[in-house]
Amino acid sequence: MTNETPIFEAKNIVKEYSGHRALDNVSIKVPKQSIFGLLGPNGAGKTSLIRIINQITAPDSGEILIDGKPLQREHVSQIGYLPEERGLYKKMKIGEQAIYLAQLKGMPKKQAKQELMLWFKKFEIDTWWSKKVEELSKGMAQKIQFITTVIHRPKLLILDEPFSGFDPINTNLVKEEIMKLRDEGATIILSTHNMGSVEEICDNIALINNSKKILGGKVNDVKEQFSEEKYIIEFKGTGVAFANAIWGGWEMVNNEQLGKNHAKATIKLTGGTQLNDFLKGIINAVEIESVNKVIPSMNEIFIRAVENESNSKKEVTNENTNQDG
Amino acid sequence: MGKIGLIIKREYTTRVKKKSFLLMTILGPILIVGFLVGAIWLGQQEEKNLKILVLDDTYVLSNTLLQSEKYHLTSSQDEGIENIDDGKTFLKEHDQYDIFLYLPGNIVSGNTSVGKLFYKEAPSSNVQRHLENIVDGSIERLRLKELNISNEDYSRLKNKVQLHTIDVVSNEEKNVGMRAGVGFIFGLMIYMFIFMYGIQVMKGVIEEKSNRIVEVIVSSVKPFELMMGKIIGIMFVGLTQFIIWVLLSLTLTTTLSLTVFPDMMSPQKMAETAKAEQVAVGIELEPVNSETEEIGKEFQDLIFNQIPWGLMIGLFIFYFIGGYLLYGSLMAAVGAAVDSETDTQQFILPITAPLIFGYIVAAMAIDNPNSIAVEWCSQIPFTSPIVMLVRVSMGAEGLALEIITSMVLLIGTFIGTTWIAGRIYRTGILMYGKKASYKEMFKWLRHK
Repeated sequence: MTNETPIFEAKNIVKEYSGHRALDNVSIKVPKQSIFGLLGPNGAGKTSLIRIINQITAPDSGEILIDGKPLQREHVSQIGYLPEERGLYKKMKIGEQAIYLAQLKGMPKKQAKQELMLWFKKFEIDTWWSKKVEELSKGMAQKIQFITTVIHRPKLLILDEPFSGFDPINTNLVKEEIMKLRDEGATIILSTHNMGSVEEICDNIALINNSKKILGGKVNDVKEQFSEEKYIIEFKGTGVAFANAIWGGWEMVNNEQLGKNHAKATIKLTGGTQLNDFLKGIINAVEIESVNKVIPSMNEIFIRAVENESNSKKEVTNENTNQDG
Repeated sequence: MGKIGLIIKREYTTRVKKKSFLLMTILGPILIVGFLVGAIWLGQQEEKNLKILVLDDTYVLSNTLLQSEKYHLTSSQDEGIENIDDGKTFLKEHDQYDIFLYLPGNIVSGNTSVGKLFYKEAPSSNVQRHLENIVDGSIERLRLKELNISNEDYSRLKNKVQLHTIDVVSNEEKNVGMRAGVGFIFGLMIYMFIFMYGIQVMKGVIEEKSNRIVEVIVSSVKPFELMMGKIIGIMFVGLTQFIIWVLLSLTLTTTLSLTVFPDMMSPQKMAETAKAEQVAVGIELEPVNSETEEIGKEFQDLIFNQIPWGLMIGLFIFYFIGGYLLYGSLMAAVGAAVDSETDTQQFILPITAPLIFGYIVAAMAIDNPNSIAVEWCSQIPFTSPIVMLVRVSMGAEGLALEIITSMVLLIGTFIGTTWIAGRIYRTGILMYGKKASYKEMFKWLRHK
């Protein structure tokens, strides 16, 4: 997969809005048939990047490649975009509106109607065809928006907060559809703050903070990169026996007595101590039941990465002020 | 069909299908024709007959006052009334009189004579004028007798002069004032059209923006295409409505004038109504018929021969579209720069000001078609769509160059305004939650 041309590639994208740099030299690669999480705090520059991909704005410098070819007007019909700020014409009938939006993406009217009917059935909303949008609830309107985003079978789908406004049942429905679309050949760029869903469905991620990409890669690699030598050990015996079994080379992060003779300890290995050596040290003191490596959640990674960034920035500014003083 | 075609189609069909459009389109002409017919009908209605009690302190006038069916005059002596206070009381207490007219003894002597008219129900200005004419006529007759002038001599003295206006180039006789009026009506229609549909463009943009559908659409089409599609779509809505109005109004007036009011709409009848006041009282009735026929003929001549209809309609369509595109694009920019309709005021004012100014100049042009203001405003693209047609209606001879310059200027300007509007629009539609300032809008112009 890595040797294939990525379906989407952004090279050194720079975008400025009247003095404010929204994207600073951002490069990302999205492999074909994958789900790519575009993450970052509010105002980091995600929407700017998404708008550039949709040719709503143009970058000041840098290059966008779709399937290895520079981004052009014709690509519009191969991209599906669900913006974060999304809506529909309130006074228009739903069916007509969906056909109109599909036609704007280049679909012939007849085909659009046929396929829309299928989608409407799948989402169990085929009775809504002649209703007006103003009669729908927010969640209902979200379904229509999702359908109109994918109706023209885009190669590249860009979904900005696709789950907002959905109840858990519909969230799952949409999640499943997204994964189905990927399995059928589409590539999805998913921008969201919902880290749980990132963990669940994303193959790759990029984290943008303060206009810069600060993290990127496969989800597992990123997790590996952020994992510390932390383990959860469950054992029979007491915490005191556990703690006294071995001196140095580790820290107790958390110790929890589960029963009279049953406990769970979260430890962190330091100074290059190997897990095996540690286990050898305690194996005579307690009876080990299970050992699990602590894998950081995307949520943790997000917070740590963003905080590290702003801390290092603060340090830099502090140094500067010191030098000035 | 291209994408812009799809947008035009949507803008057009969603608006034309609206109930309010149907209602306006059908009710508009009915209201206009209704008002017109109503006004003419009212004008031709006989007012109720008035019984007037006259106290004449001159003792000479009352015998010469002209009686008519409508104005029945009774001398106060017949009721045994000798002074003004008795007359007032009598009027108050008796129902058979509507008005008590008091003519003081000095009314015949001065140049400006003052009488008094007491009423229970306020008389119309028509009644007042008519009574003034009756008294005036009596005084005139009295003085003629004193001066020993015969009625024939007096008629010769009162000869009326008419000046017929003739264009020296084409050697045609023209009624300049009426023709300017026709041109003004054309200008007025363009003015209304720009106003009504310009606002619709703005509202449409705001709707898309506040609906948040705009970002979905501009991921499929260029913002400029969306803007132009909207402007053109709404233009067709306006044209449709306009054409239906014209056809419906014509049909309505024709049917009405053929059936319900067979002679009401005839130019003769209308001219008669207009003349009726002037001829109310004279020494002798003037030859009314020949004169009203004259006006009728003039009117027909104006409608059928003098107005250069082909040129007018051609130019009308051009200025109609040109002016609308110019203002419509600016309105689209306003819609994109604000977040809700309540924020539009500050931006709309500078746009509507020249429009209203153009309307005022066009109204002025009826009286003074060759003033400098009119000439300038028929060239300046912001006012030319409204003003130029007034000038053209008065004769296009010698205007060819000016018409062409004004058309070229209009085309150039609307290309310019659409370009500017497109730039503001592009950035503005994606700015949520705040109203742009002029400074920001200027910055948007320079964005890449």
